[in-house]
Amino acid sequence: MSNANANAMIEVSNVVKVYKRGKTEVRALNGVSLSVPRGQFLSVMGSSGSGKSTMLNLLGALDVPTSGTLRIDGKEISRFPDDELSRFRRDRLGFIFQFFNLLPTLTAVENVILPELLAGKSRELLEPKAIALLEQFGLKGRGAHRPDELSGGEMQRVAVARALLSEPALLLADEPTGNLDSKTGSEVLRLIREATRARQLTVVMVTHDPKAAEVGDRLVRLADGNIIGDDAVQAAA
Amino acid sequence: MWSLLRFVSFRHVFQSPLRSLLTLVGVAVGVATLVGIAAINRSVMDAFRSTIDTVAGKADLTVAAETSGFSEDLLETVRATPGVLHAAGGLSVVAPVNNSPGESLYIMGVDLLDDGYFRTYEGAGETNVGKLADDLEFLNSTDRILVSERFARAKNLGVGGIIELQTHEGARPFVIHGLLKETGPLKAFGGSVGVMFFGSLQEAFGKGRTLTRIDVAIDQQVGLEAMKERLQKAVGASIEVDSPDKRGSAVTTMVRSFQLGLNLGSGVALLVGVFLVYNTVSISVVQRRREIGTLRALGATRRRIRVLFALEAAVFGLLGSLLGMPLGVLVGKAAIGSVANSVSEIYVRVNINDVKLGSSELILGLTLGVLGSVFAALRPAWIASGVQPVEALRKDAAIGAGAVEVKAWPTWVGLGLLIFAWPVAQIPPPLENFPAFGYTAIFFILMGITLLSPIVLRWLNVPFQRPGELLFGISGRLAADNFARAPVRTAVPVSALSIGVTMAVTVGAFIGSFQASADKWIEQAIPADLFVTSSARLAGTQNQPMKAEVEAELLAAGNGNIEALNPVRLMAHDVLGLRVFVISLDSSIHEKLGSTMILEGKIPTPEERAKGYVTVSENFSRRRDLKVGSTFVMKTPTGEHTYTVGTIIIDYTSDQGSVILDRSIFKEQFKTDQVDTFHVYLKDKSKLEETRNAITAKLGKQYDLYVLSNDELRQEAKKLVGGAFAITYAMETVAVALALLGIINTLLAAVLDRTREIGLLRAVGADRGHVLKLFTGEAFFIGLTGSLFGVATGGVVGFIVTNIVGVQATGWNFPYAYPWMTAVQMILIGTVSAIIAGLYPARRAARLDVVEALAYE
Repeated sequence: MSNANANAMIEVSNVVKVYKRGKTEVRALNGVSLSVPRGQFLSVMGSSGSGKSTMLNLLGALDVPTSGTLRIDGKEISRFPDDELSRFRRDRLGFIFQFFNLLPTLTAVENVILPELLAGKSRELLEPKAIALLEQFGLKGRGAHRPDELSGGEMQRVAVARALLSEPALLLADEPTGNLDSKTGSEVLRLIREATRARQLTVVMVTHDPKAAEVGDRLVRLADGNIIGDDAVQAAA
Repeated sequence: MWSLLRFVSFRHVFQSPLRSLLTLVGVAVGVATLVGIAAINRSVMDAFRSTIDTVAGKADLTVAAETSGFSEDLLETVRATPGVLHAAGGLSVVAPVNNSPGESLYIMGVDLLDDGYFRTYEGAGETNVGKLADDLEFLNSTDRILVSERFARAKNLGVGGIIELQTHEGARPFVIHGLLKETGPLKAFGGSVGVMFFGSLQEAFGKGRTLTRIDVAIDQQVGLEAMKERLQKAVGASIEVDSPDKRGSAVTTMVRSFQLGLNLGSGVALLVGVFLVYNTVSISVVQRRREIGTLRALGATRRRIRVLFALEAAVFGLLGSLLGMPLGVLVGKAAIGSVANSVSEIYVRVNINDVKLGSSELILGLTLGVLGSVFAALRPAWIASGVQPVEALRKDAAIGAGAVEVKAWPTWVGLGLLIFAWPVAQIPPPLENFPAFGYTAIFFILMGITLLSPIVLRWLNVPFQRPGELLFGISGRLAADNFARAPVRTAVPVSALSIGVTMAVTVGAFIGSFQASADKWIEQAIPADLFVTSSARLAGTQNQPMKAEVEAELLAAGNGNIEALNPVRLMAHDVLGLRVFVISLDSSIHEKLGSTMILEGKIPTPEERAKGYVTVSENFSRRRDLKVGSTFVMKTPTGEHTYTVGTIIIDYTSDQGSVILDRSIFKEQFKTDQVDTFHVYLKDKSKLEETRNAITAKLGKQYDLYVLSNDELRQEAKKLVGGAFAITYAMETVAVALALLGIINTLLAAVLDRTREIGLLRAVGADRGHVLKLFTGEAFFIGLTGSLFGVATGGVVGFIVTNIVGVQATGWNFPYAYPWMTAVQMILIGTVSAIIAGLYPARRAARLDVVEALAYE
């Protein structure tokens, strides 16, 4: 598993992450190694404090490990400077958050194209693409609405569209259904599953909902900064 | 309550030290400006009053004709009046010190024998004042002078030392005959005082046999009023009889609007400081919603919450004011020179060595600092007390913070204030030279704009989106959006900046409009090629009048290139309660070579002039409601004369007004032929420099001459006006600087409120540059909006100041010109400095840790 695998989207090797909280040190990840092949949907579960958020932050290039190596899409990103990390996130990664995290002043379409606008691409080229994507996700005619005019499920669909627009190599989802009722949650999950499968996209989803975790191909369990379980999911949703 | 303040409030103060510091600095600078200016104004008036008071000594009544003087024979008349116990006559001159530009000596001419009753002179060192009355050398020489120790020390001279002073005959040496301690009358005029025997002074300064003052001690049994009446009857109506404390009221009135303007300018600085308190307390309320909810859940009453926030503001106000006091001394010391200079140049000579903060200024600063701060906290405190206990439980209490709803009432009140501003501005001033309602209208406009700005800001994001995106890319677009997200909060720095810019544009409009008119006036009405003045660049309050014979000397010095010379006298004189300038000139030359700008009537013919027809300035006619054909009375050394207004002209010699008399009539009625400035018309204008050099070479040193070309005179006039407003530039700078603190304050709060959003942006690929641009972009929009509001408001306020306040204060009604250059400059300065102010919060935002930012609640 620790061997560099040409087919792996993610190669985590011996990663340690230590946080300083006041005067005490917290070892959030304790020498974790993990390899995720391209196209796999990986669910990560664990109780609060298990290290799953830290893991997601590292995979999402939001943070760098204290030690160990972290290779995503063939790039060793653990020593990237801040600006290169930003660019990497912009170009290669897609994010879905629990609280949707849409910018309140932008319309749905604008929220979707935001990462690409940040990359300096032209709005005129992006907008038709975003509108098509939103239609595909059942949000026809909602593109000009602002987040406060959308329901929770709609907002999360917009977030999914945003994550997928730039055709990332890796999609990271942090409790994507945590703020939705169960019916809407499972609809959003199904949407993510279908959209990523069609694109052969690698997905890492952190959740504490066992039902949500079953959507994936594989389930990794974390506790106290260590992997305590790594299994294939039996029945795909 | 105190424990809440200690445990809750003060911890917040220390947790956001920068914001607390900015607020303190804001209050302190505002209070310092207010206190400093108040102290300067008082010092200027004190200096002026103390000269009157110390010189008046123990006199019960003073018979005075300060500006024009009267015959010394009157002294006997006064002495012969029943009920007069003692009377002492005297005169005084302010003599420029040679080779020491701007410095002068206040010389009292007294009869030491009589004078001792009213004033005590104390000799210093060897000087024995008691013996001076018999000291023939002192009494018989025209060049013997006693000076204050302070003056001698400053000049490094002792008894026997020589001091050169400018007289009507040019520079003359005076021998220091003795030194006097700086007590009693020697404290007048900032201690730069000399004493001469009055006869010697008359002789040395060409005053003929005139006095300007007779001090009188009366029989108290007769009573002050009765004696006043008796004396007035004895000396005739042309001379004032009054108690010393009544004297100088013309000057007090004259300086009033100037001082009021300064006070209001400093008030604006404090207002902007108070805005900062409002800003800080509002931000604090929004960010502490959950804490307030918790306090409420734990049993704190609404009233308690209100009092808590009001107290917090009071503490800010108190500390800021205390910090502002010593700063105020610095402000006073830094600016007193400039103000005293302007007052001396425009109104009356004052000599000030120091400015001290008195208890009245301290109380004023402390009261306004604390009350202003508490007032600023009222609304946020009210909002805080409306927080429900349940908000303690809301996890996202801080999210969307700052987005206080734009309420309808401020908009209506704002509109109301704007609508009322105009009619209020039209109300006549309650006191001479006190345009209170004009200033009230300006306050209405400033507050109206402030109250309206939140709603305008909310609309502005749409028009700003495109330019934002063009300038800063997607960050600029987001900046435009964010700019309108918390309009109530953003409105504070926007309004503060706009007030600073408004001030600049208003002053620019007034000065510009005045200068344009004055320039045109000099060009048309007095197109002389050279202006020759002694001891000062401009004739008026600072120069030394020259003897009439200088005319012949000038003609001779001019190498035959002088076509005409007009000897002009500008004599400050109290007429109808105003200290106007009585201008005397040779009418035939003036009318031939210049073209008087007539508003009404026609220039009196020589026959009409002989019958008392005169020309008056527009402002004098307006201030005293004189029309063509109106008559008025002027007191002169030859008695009271009645004059008829023949024509009203534009004349910018004095903001108090001018009365123009032909020189022959003036000489006859005022018994003086001295000249303040010669207007020189040349035959060959191309030889201007040669002629000027010739005059300077032959007479320059002797008379301490300043020979200015027409161009230079105009420049000088501009400088004079610019100088009078110099301190307002400093106050504008203070207002803008405080507004910038407000921008920092507001953006720091925005960074806190939007931390999670920043995290999100960073997560989806924004680099630090994007975040930096986002916040500097927001600062740019705040700066741009504030500047645009300011140049627009400044246009209106400038109009009111020029056409209403200015007319009430000066009587001049010159056409209003919008100061485009100033407006463009202020937009640039306002916007660029806002961006610079935004850099710090922007960098803080850009440096946020992404993971922590995402997890921020």
